[in-house]
Amino acid sequence: MKFRCERDTLADAVATAYRAVASRTGALPVLAGLLLRLQPNEVELVGSDLELTIRVRVPAEVDGVGSAVLVARLLQELMSRLAAGAVRVEIGEDQAKIEAGRFRSEVRTLAASDFPRLPEAEGEGVKVAAGPLAQGLRQVVPAASKDDARPILTGVLIAATADGVRLVATDSYRLAVRDLPGLNLLGEGRSVLVGAKGLSELQRLLPTEGEVEVFLGERQVTFRLDGTELTARLVEGEFPNYQQLVPSGYPNRLTVQRDALADAVNRVRLVGGQNRDSSPIRLAMSAEGLELSATAQDVGQSYEPVEAKYEGTELTVAFNSQFLLDGLEATGSSELVIESVDPLKPAVLRASDTSDFLYLLMPVRIA
Amino acid sequence: MRLVVARCSVEYAGRLGARLPDAVRLVVLKADGSIAVHADAKAYKPLNWMNPPCTITEVDGVITASNRQAERLVIELHEVLYDSSFELGQDPGLAKDGVEAELQELLAARVQTLGAGLRLVRREYPTDVGPVDLLCRDGAGRAVAVEIKRIGEIASVEQLVRYRERLDRDGSLSPVLAVLAATRIKPQARVFAESRGVECVEVDLEELRAGAPADLRLF
Repeated sequence: MKFRCERDTLADAVATAYRAVASRTGALPVLAGLLLRLQPNEVELVGSDLELTIRVRVPAEVDGVGSAVLVARLLQELMSRLAAGAVRVEIGEDQAKIEAGRFRSEVRTLAASDFPRLPEAEGEGVKVAAGPLAQGLRQVVPAASKDDARPILTGVLIAATADGVRLVATDSYRLAVRDLPGLNLLGEGRSVLVGAKGLSELQRLLPTEGEVEVFLGERQVTFRLDGTELTARLVEGEFPNYQQLVPSGYPNRLTVQRDALADAVNRVRLVGGQNRDSSPIRLAMSAEGLELSATAQDVGQSYEPVEAKYEGTELTVAFNSQFLLDGLEATGSSELVIESVDPLKPAVLRASDTSDFLYLLMPVRIA
Repeated sequence: MRLVVARCSVEYAGRLGARLPDAVRLVVLKADGSIAVHADAKAYKPLNWMNPPCTITEVDGVITASNRQAERLVIELHEVLYDSSFELGQDPGLAKDGVEAELQELLAARVQTLGAGLRLVRREYPTDVGPVDLLCRDGAGRAVAVEIKRIGEIASVEQLVRYRERLDRDGSLSPVLAVLAATRIKPQARVFAESRGVECVEVDLEELRAGAPADLRLF
């Protein structure tokens, strides 16, 4: 069996499916490969690490049907380096010939029969707007934990609300909540926990306009886009009761321009050197405004005042600088509000003009 | 996870031929598709095994595992003494203790633990033979090079002496004092350190941890 396809088309498809390929294959070496399924007039490329599966279909001139698994990394690097034009792939019993222009390669294949059974979309599909979902994911997914020791926190909670859906993620140091009214993704009262890695990949794939079809099964969720399908396993377990953490009111309120604050944080935290991401940055808030400072015992100190409006009692609170920057980025608005209680209680970042997103950030204890 | 304790014999054919004669052994069949035959010895090492991907079949008291490399492991069960399966679920994985890195972080935050009046100049202070873990100044302003180990051995002292020699070439630091800090320092290392003018300090990791402020979390 063989097929012929344009390099640009194939390279895009390989790069997309490759994002689901397992970085550590463990007991299933075949997961280091991309499954190529040759069908009449199209080739489907599949990458999977069992938690996440991405399937991409591309139009191709196909002669013969069947499947083969090619080493994903090699294929991805090869596609990114081939010149534009036609790519021909001929698949034999245990090797594949790849030709493009004057380039020729014969590479061993992995056994297609070892590739895990592909998840099929379950349940009835629901079409929702892709743009708002992508924006919500962009705001929330970075707050999910990357620590497998607490698997529930590696997921993003998607919960039905009265008029749409709510996305929530936390790593226990910060919590991001985004309401998406009008996005009727789930049945009333329903909620699911989806792995943040899968949703991060989905966010990259989602177009700014158009729709995505969502199929929610018992153990997985499938997102179907034009020619691409992403299936993520649901995370089992109960998401922490986050609602109790968000106080109804805060005594202290700082209003500041987001870009000015982000730029100043980026400058002041430089003193933290290689540890700048985790180094604390102090926000001294008073009637005069805001002053940022950072200290690294073995390097030195930095300070910068930032124009801001503050209502409340004089207060100094410190945050992990990267978590603060993530919050500023996620908030999106040009002007934002930081509400706080005291140096040891979580503060809230939100846009000054909308209430559909909030970012709860735990302070860092400082001497 | 299926555990079978049985009197069995085992034949392996593949890269070489091997046979285990009739004896009581433990056969472990894991959910990852692997199979291993254990004796009551050799710690974690099986007598014979096959890694996935392989095909495992069981017919009339004979378990056969085979793979694409044409290897075959045939276990004949002559008398089954125990046969049970358990659902272990997903393993959270091994959490390793990054003791030296953690020690360095904890000691950097409280260098006074190593000597009264010490203050930190820099972590990972570079020398042309590698970075010394901490460079400090004592109460009298003298430079102090600190090497941190989980277990202090002779090699640790030698390493620290090399760093001190390089640092001593810098007029702004010389003469440099040297401190070896570890949760345990071997007696030979202590003697050697004394002969090289290196001070030894044993530190208690749990005490250091207890003294460190806990991270504030939402839950």
